[in-house]
Parts: sequence; C-alpha cells; structure tokens
Amino acid sequence: MTSDPKAPHEIALPQPIEEEKSIPYWEMLFRETIAIELLASVLVWIALWWNAPLELLADPQQTPKLAKAPWYFTGLQELLHYFPPFVAGIILPTLIVVALVVVPFFNVNIKDENLWVHHKSQRLAILGIVLAALTVLLIRFDAWDALLPVWLIAIFMGIAAANEGRRDRGFRRWLSSKPLSFWIMTWFLMEAVVLTSVGTFFRGPGWSWIWPW
Amino acid sequence: MQKSLAAPTGTAIRNPIQALARWRDEFKEIFSARVRERQLGFRYTWYLGALTLGTFSIQLITGLLLMLYYHPSIPQGYADMKDLHFVVSSGVFLRNLHRWSAHAMVFLVFAHMAKVFYRGAYRPPRELNWVVGVCLLLLTLLASYTGYLLPWDQLSYWGTTVGSSIISSTPFIGEKLRFILLGGHTVNANALLRFYVLHVVILPLAVILLVAIHLWRLHKDGGMYVEHEKNVEKR
Amino acid sequence: MSEPEKKNLAASNDEASFLSRRQFFVKLGAGSLAITGAGATVFAVQYLSPNVLYEPSPIVGVGRPEHFPIDSVTLDPRAAIFVVHAQKGFYAMSSVCTHLGCLTVWRQDEGIIACPCHGSTFRPDGKVIGGPAPRPLQWLKMWIGNDGNLMVDRSANIASESEYVQL
Ligand code: HEM
Ligand code: FES
Repeated sequence: MTSDPKAPHEIALPQPIEEEKSIPYWEMLFRETIAIELLASVLVWIALWWNAPLELLADPQQTPKLAKAPWYFTGLQELLHYFPPFVAGIILPTLIVVALVVVPFFNVNIKDENLWVHHKSQRLAILGIVLAALTVLLIRFDAWDALLPVWLIAIFMGIAAANEGRRDRGFRRWLSSKPLSFWIMTWFLMEAVVLTSVGTFFRGPGWSWIWPW
Repeated sequence: MQKSLAAPTGTAIRNPIQALARWRDEFKEIFSARVRERQLGFRYTWYLGALTLGTFSIQLITGLLLMLYYHPSIPQGYADMKDLHFVVSSGVFLRNLHRWSAHAMVFLVFAHMAKVFYRGAYRPPRELNWVVGVCLLLLTLLASYTGYLLPWDQLSYWGTTVGSSIISSTPFIGEKLRFILLGGHTVNANALLRFYVLHVVILPLAVILLVAIHLWRLHKDGGMYVEHEKNVEKR
Repeated sequence: MSEPEKKNLAASNDEASFLSRRQFFVKLGAGSLAITGAGATVFAVQYLSPNVLYEPSPIVGVGRPEHFPIDSVTLDPRAAIFVVHAQKGFYAMSSVCTHLGCLTVWRQDEGIIACPCHGSTFRPDGKVIGGPAPRPLQWLKMWIGNDGNLMVDRSANIASESEYVQL
C-alpha cells in the first residue's frame, strides 16, 4: 500500500518496520470489540437495575424546588450561579472551545518544551500576576470552589519550577518537564471535576450549599 | 502488502471467493494491515475512542427502537414515556439503556479527549483529527441537551427553559436566537418538535459523518499515535 | 528603463490581464455564491421564526381587588404574575426570574420572593436582594377593567414603582 512520499514524517524512517513486534489489524479489532462488549454488558446491567429518572408531567406554572441538570451540565450550572449568564453560559464555553481547537496549532504544544528551561524568572513573575488576577476576580464573584484548582495548579507549577534541571526519575522531575499546555489543560480538567462535583453533590434547593451526607 | 487471493484492483472478479477476498482487502484499507504492538497497548488509548463509538452504536440502536413508540407532541411524549415504563415490553429497559449509555458516552468523549491530549496525539499531521474530535464533543453535548427535553417531564421542561435562556443573554441577537431555536417565546410544542428533529436526525447524521472522517483521518495519519513521531511507519 | 526590464514588465502585464480575466470570473462566482448564501440565510431565519403562535393571550384578569388584602403578595401561577397590594396601591409583577426564566415564589414567612433555580431573592417591590439575578422583577401594566376586575397586560412592561392602581 502506498504512502505519500512527500509527507515529511514518513520519509525519516530510521529503522525498518520489522524491528518492532507487530500484530495483524484484526487483532486490534478483536481487542476493541471485547472492550466494547464488556462496556455494553456493564451498561445493560445498569439499565436492568436502575431506572432513568422520570418526574411529573412538565408544568409551565411551577418550577420544581430543585431543578438540577444531568451531571455533565452541573459544572455549567455552578458557573451560572456565580457569573452573569452571558459570561458563564456563552463567553466561557466559547473560550474553552476555541482553546481546545487551537491546541495543535501552537508551536509550544508541538515542541512540548518544559516551561521552566528558559526565562524562568520572567515566567514565574507572569505566573504570579495571573494567579493574583484570577484570585481577585474569583473572590470578587464569591466563586471559592473555582479558586481551589487555581491554587492547586499554581502550587504544583511552583514545585515544578523549583525542581527545574533535576536529573533523577522521580515525580518532581516529571512535573518539572511539563510544558505550558499541560498545565492549562490540567487546570481546565480540574475545574471541570471540582465544579461538576460541587454542582452534583453539594447543591440543594435554591442552589444552596448542602452536605451530601 | 501480503499476497492476496483477490484479483488486482481494476481487473474483473470471476468468482465469489475473489469477491470476498477483494472485499477483505478493501476492508484492510480502512485499518492498518498490521499494527505495531505498542500502538495497541491498552495504556496508549485505554480504548476510549472505541468505547465511545460503542456507546454511540448503543444510542443508535436503542434510539431507533424508542422512536417506534415516541411521539414528539404535548402531552403525548410524556404519556409515551409512561407507556415505555409500564406497558411496552422491555420498554423501560430500552429507555434506561439509552439514558445511561448517553451518560457513558459523554463521560467517554471527555476521557478520550483528555487521553489524546496527554499522549500529545494532536501533533501534526493529526491536527485536523483533533479539531474533528472537538466538534464531536460538542455534538455529543448537543445530542444530550436536545434529548433531555423529549420526555417532557418537569426536569426536561425547566432544564430546557434555563438552558435556552442562556442564549437570550447574548447582547442584541440573544432573544432572536432563542426564538428561532424554540420556535416561540417559551418552551412549547414547536420547541419539542425542533429538539426532536435535531435529536433524531440532524445531530446523529452529523455525528456519523464526523466519525467517518475521524476514522478515515486516523488511518491516513498512520494509525494510532505513538511517541516519537519519527518512528512512525506506514505498514 | 533597460531592455530586459521592459520585457519583464510587458510579460507581467500580460500575465496580470490574463489573471484578472480569470479573477473576474472567480470573483463573479464567489460573489453570486455569497449573495445566494446571504439570501438563503435570510429565508432560513424567516422560515424558522413562526409568524403565528398559539400562546395564551397576554391580557389576563386576576380577580376583584377586594380579594387582595392590604400588604399582601399573591402569586397567580396560571398567569405567572404576582399581584401586590401595597400601601400605595395595587401593582403587578412578572414572577419569571430575570436570571434564567424559572418561576419565583412568595415566601410568606420570610417576606421575600425566591427563585428555586439558582437562589435569587427579591423584595416584594421586585428589587434584587441576592443571587445572580441581574435585574428586578418586571413590573407589568395593570388597570381596573369595566367589570371591576383587576386586569394585567403581561406584554406591557413598565418601570418599577412607576404606576400604582388605586381604587
Ligand atoms: C442516532 C441516534 C439517536 C436516536 C435515534 C435517538 C433517539 C432518541 C429518542 C426517540 C428519545 C426519546 C425517548 C427517551 O426519552 O428515552 C431519546 C432520548 C434521549 N437521548 Fe437519544 N437518540 C440518539 C442518540 C443520542 C445520543 C448520541 C445521545 C447523547 C450522548 C442521546 C441522549 C439522549 C438523552 C439524554 C435522552 C433523554 C432520555 C430519556 O429520557 O430516557 N441520544 N433519544
Ligand atoms: S433562574 Fe432564578 S436564579 Fe437563576
């Protein structure tokens, strides 16, 4: 089967293919099919035991005491609780989508370069400013739970910076080798997890704080 | 390429065996004939993409079956849900499976994206596939959002009321956008019908189309990504 | 100008005119496509916006004034409005939360109007006390009909505290 000889990544084949163990494609299909079947049986089992929610008939004259979205939107609901609808519901989601789309188009993401090798002090200063700005902003809107991941990430970034240049193979060395995109994505995922969990487990009627136990 | 029973492409096929063999060869075109073991390793993908596709297939099958009993009208849609629960044989099972598999699908799409990111598998030449993936994530969320209205219960109604009001908050055109989406000023019969059409026709078709592109690009870009792109070979 | 330069110029002129003919058609094609696209968008927006809606009339009668004692806030869930009888007179407010459209309720014991969705709270005159609601509850036009009933036009917004209905 032909490969396009012009594509640069295909020219530079340093080793012959046979070097590595290879398996036929149907082996891959086979394994993936098994995985899907396992998942399907788990889902069937769940569907046999737990009913999908069905409340009373829709009543445009009465809002239920607690109108909670399914878990994948409770993070958004949590944002809506803090920020104006246009910010929480339109601007932030749009920014997230744009940020996701551009990931592969930034050279830093391709080079995958450790954030702290160059200009360490300037970068630490920028980190400090961003941290302060986010902290002030989030406190201004009382969004304490959204502040948690900000600080966690900042602390880990600090640890990474302090361990720049380590040669051993431990966790701190691993941390210090991470590029900027890693930190941003991890921050985003942590926010998603924290806001979703708060929205799902810690919010009661009128979106007031409750304890799940 | 291995030797094949099939007549070379372009020549006439003389018997069913040849036809089958040709078909098998063509099928192989879709996947890589041989895959390096590392690419297969569970630790590279956790099979998250394949699992997402699995849940989507469940959505298609259960969704098509649910369509045989569901009428997108008020209050019939709600009555149909009750019928699925209490009258239709296995109706409640199909509905549950459709709902829980939808949840699983959303989770898996996110997980798949995160895994791809942390492997760095968005690197060129895979940029296009990453962008297609982001679109698939959005389509999955939209499918869930539109499907949520269909049972026409209290949660559906108020969830959609709040969700669509977010659109109105857009300056200048917000009210108009919401009006167009709902086909009215409130969540009503028009809105239910529009969401239904989006949910069972437009969004699934878009997902199928994009999944096809996703898999085709995966194949074209040299199969699953393994670190150190320079080692990647094509069969 | 030297000879070769002139030649170059002539050649590029030729090329330019050739390209511009080509470009003309490309532009023509792209232009027609753009116009068609814009037209299709306009038609789509029009088609998607229903001209007739089967929604209930915005004008509702809420009952006789005597039914609302002084200093009372009454929710009319059918019409999604509050009828308030304050010292200054009667007024009507939409009970639709200005945040994201849930229906608020009157909490007699606390003397506030509260939204179940994201926790906005309002005073009986509609002012926001807390929560994410950006604006006070909407005041609506109210008058006494010929039959002596209080009437409200839910499509007629008025400024807060601008009009009271006296008996
Ligand atoms: C092509 C595929 C699909 C078809 C034909 C389909 C069809 C349907 C139908 C007829 C309903 C109404 C019955 C019901 O509420 O149970 C429904 C509900 C729903 N669908 Fe789908 N669907 C499809 C794909 C999806 C996808 C991809 C998702 C999300 C990932 C999704 C999420 C939902 C949800 C959350 C509901 C509400 C479920 C419920 O109340 O049980 N669907 N779908
Ligand atoms: S809709 Fe009332 S607080 Fe959000």
